[in-house]
Amino acid sequence: MKTITILAVFTVLCCLGIFLVNPALAGNPRSKIVVDGSTTVGPIAKSFAEYYMRMNPVVNITVSESGSGNGAKSLINGTCDVANMSRFMKEKEFKAAVDKGIFPVAHVVAVDGIAIIVHPSNRVKSLTIEQVRDIYLGKTKNWNKVGGTNKRIVIISRDTNSGTYETFEKLVMKKQKITQNAEYVGSNGAIRTRVQSTKAAIGYVGLGFIDKSVKAVKIDNIYPDNNSVSSGKYPIARPLFMFTNGYPKLGTHLHAFVTLYLSEKGQEIIESIGFIPITKY
Amino acid sequence: MKLQTRKLLDKSFTGLNLFSAFLLISALIIVLGPIFFKGIGAFVFKGTVEYRRMIFDQFGRGNKEKIFKEIAYSQKARKFIYDNISDFEKGIIVKSYIKETKKIYKEYKEYLSSLELPNPHKNELRRKSRSLYSLFIKALESTDKEKVENILNQILSDPYRKRFDSTPMTKMFHLVTRYSEIVNQVDLSNREVYLENLIDLKDQLRTLLGPFPKDPKPILPRNQYGQTRWDRSLVKLNDVLFIEKYDYSDSSEMGQIVQYPRSEIFKGTTVEHIFSYLEDNRESILLPKTVFYWRFFTDVPLDSNIFGGIKPAILGTFYLTFGALLFSIPLGIIAAIYLTEFAKENWLIQLIRTCIGTLAGVPSIVFGLFGLAFFINTIHVSSSKSVLAGSMTLAILVLPTVIRASEEAIRTVPHTYKEASLSLGASRWRAVLTVILPAALPGILTGIIISMGRAAGETAPIIFTAAVSVGQPLKLWETLSQATPALSWNIYNLCTEHEAVDEIRHVQYGMVLTLVLLVLLINIIAIILRARINKRLIGRT
Repeated sequence: MKTITILAVFTVLCCLGIFLVNPALAGNPRSKIVVDGSTTVGPIAKSFAEYYMRMNPVVNITVSESGSGNGAKSLINGTCDVANMSRFMKEKEFKAAVDKGIFPVAHVVAVDGIAIIVHPSNRVKSLTIEQVRDIYLGKTKNWNKVGGTNKRIVIISRDTNSGTYETFEKLVMKKQKITQNAEYVGSNGAIRTRVQSTKAAIGYVGLGFIDKSVKAVKIDNIYPDNNSVSSGKYPIARPLFMFTNGYPKLGTHLHAFVTLYLSEKGQEIIESIGFIPITKY
Repeated sequence: MKLQTRKLLDKSFTGLNLFSAFLLISALIIVLGPIFFKGIGAFVFKGTVEYRRMIFDQFGRGNKEKIFKEIAYSQKARKFIYDNISDFEKGIIVKSYIKETKKIYKEYKEYLSSLELPNPHKNELRRKSRSLYSLFIKALESTDKEKVENILNQILSDPYRKRFDSTPMTKMFHLVTRYSEIVNQVDLSNREVYLENLIDLKDQLRTLLGPFPKDPKPILPRNQYGQTRWDRSLVKLNDVLFIEKYDYSDSSEMGQIVQYPRSEIFKGTTVEHIFSYLEDNRESILLPKTVFYWRFFTDVPLDSNIFGGIKPAILGTFYLTFGALLFSIPLGIIAAIYLTEFAKENWLIQLIRTCIGTLAGVPSIVFGLFGLAFFINTIHVSSSKSVLAGSMTLAILVLPTVIRASEEAIRTVPHTYKEASLSLGASRWRAVLTVILPAALPGILTGIIISMGRAAGETAPIIFTAAVSVGQPLKLWETLSQATPALSWNIYNLCTEHEAVDEIRHVQYGMVLTLVLLVLLINIIAIILRARINKRLIGRT
């Protein structure tokens, strides 16, 4: 009887042991870089982290995607090293940070356009900024008002914690309030999924999230792509930031990580995920 | 009540029971069935040659000779496609021609100046070669077929041609001949359209087969390999063969999807043939073979979970679950002992009981925010998110369950046990520790099992306290200060926030299956353990 109990406990321990013993049990804890914030900058940070960790296995870089607002909060509370943000820090956030002895330094890692997306079966190909604003204000309720089919528009927006939301609010809504009927979702990917599955939906996402399952419409007759965004022709564009507390000390892993975007490899990564590097390498 | 009605009621009650049992089972099948079948797809699938190349490159596994042989074999099969495209490209992308012509012209000038010829003679040749060169460039840049043909014929029938024999200029005449052949096959006026479609086609082929032979090595692993799974390959193959277009002709309806064959676009060109070739030879191009990828459990993820396994997440879930139990079991059992054995029944204890009950009903996200605000921002158990903070948060979450279950279990121990041990002169503590607790152990274990499953599956409490989407597998001591991926959170993350959601369905299902199996495994072990203890107890009495 007792042996069986011992055996059972032993099995559980073995299961754990496989994982625990696998990495050699000797050695110092690895140094860590904690990255938190925007879901738009997320793919860049994730790819950077994996690339960097492959070059330097002694560092453990953890990346969470919880929205720009949370990124800023984490930086202010000192619980992250790098805050990804798809908007600039607000005055309030700066104040809170400085009060706590944290001095945010912005690194612009890439440029991104916010694409207005619809279901590919939607015949609407082009909208003006005013039309988009009227849709999100709730004034335009039907696709046939903007050249589409007779279908009620389903409005999808990002949550208010998002930097993409703030940029959209500033550049498209001109600070006017989005209608009550809008549906708020928590990430770029979620907006895309929602638009994919809803034929009459409209949403907005960062350039890196466009694929063939959704259709980006022209805004003021300009299609959002690499050229039109980097040349400033596409009207809804914003820089993407990584904020650190002060400029990181030269020679540290943190410094190397946040300046990765300046290297040719970093820019290649940014471009292959669908964002626009700040310089042409 | 009449006997008849009673019988009828009885029967209908039995029927209702059976029906609800049936509903339960079918719900289980409907929920667990797809999870199981699709989850298996992460482990057992048909891997293509790209899969074996990726595993060999990235994880260093596989028989080198065999893999190289396979790669060579598939490259041979792909050659037809690549050759046809590069042939076609020459008519579309004339840049390389212009470059080559310039090179030849420069070479010829150097050759000319090295010749020992009288100057007027040299000048004449130079003038002639320059005019031929600029004519050819003009022909290359033009999209008017007739004009191009005229110019090319003019160059080829030039009276000077003989005099350029066995000089670098002969190369140019070769080029002109080759180009005039291409011009015959390609519709030059459509060059712009072709160019656009060609770029698109090449992109689609890259996602299917990996980079072209002459491409520079892409930096992200996802671009370094073609489709690694046969099922995904077929989807991508369809994308190569057909373009999804939408037909908007019916203005009262949303557009209808139309599969437009890509070969139509390239009709009459060399590229037209690659589509049927691809379809007929897809097996020899991709060499699918069934693999059992059990290392899905133990491989680290690669390129945001697009390749590789889920080791860090499994490990993270283990750490979090056992960490939560580490905090909640002692705390919960001690609280339960106090509440049942030592506490006097007054309003304070009543209040505490009510609070524990309420705690059980608090939404889990509140615990997450509490964990962030209290453990991380206030008492700083770690400088940032960590497994430690997450475990503590989860511990609070499952604490009510543990307390309630332990309380009930202790209550069910007959009073006579305690009285007997006290009468034998045992102290109160001794009675609790040696008589009551062992007797209550099966019930307590039930509570622990339930809370274990809950701790493993909870997402909300760890979002802010422990879980990240990318991170390495942690070593035991690193759990005190570092955050980790965890199954529950990463399933959510991969399903909603990931940039390539549709490409990694198999990983998502694989993770769900792993989590379900993990909870099942934990439960089975605990249930067996409980059964043994129960048996022992019965044996004693």
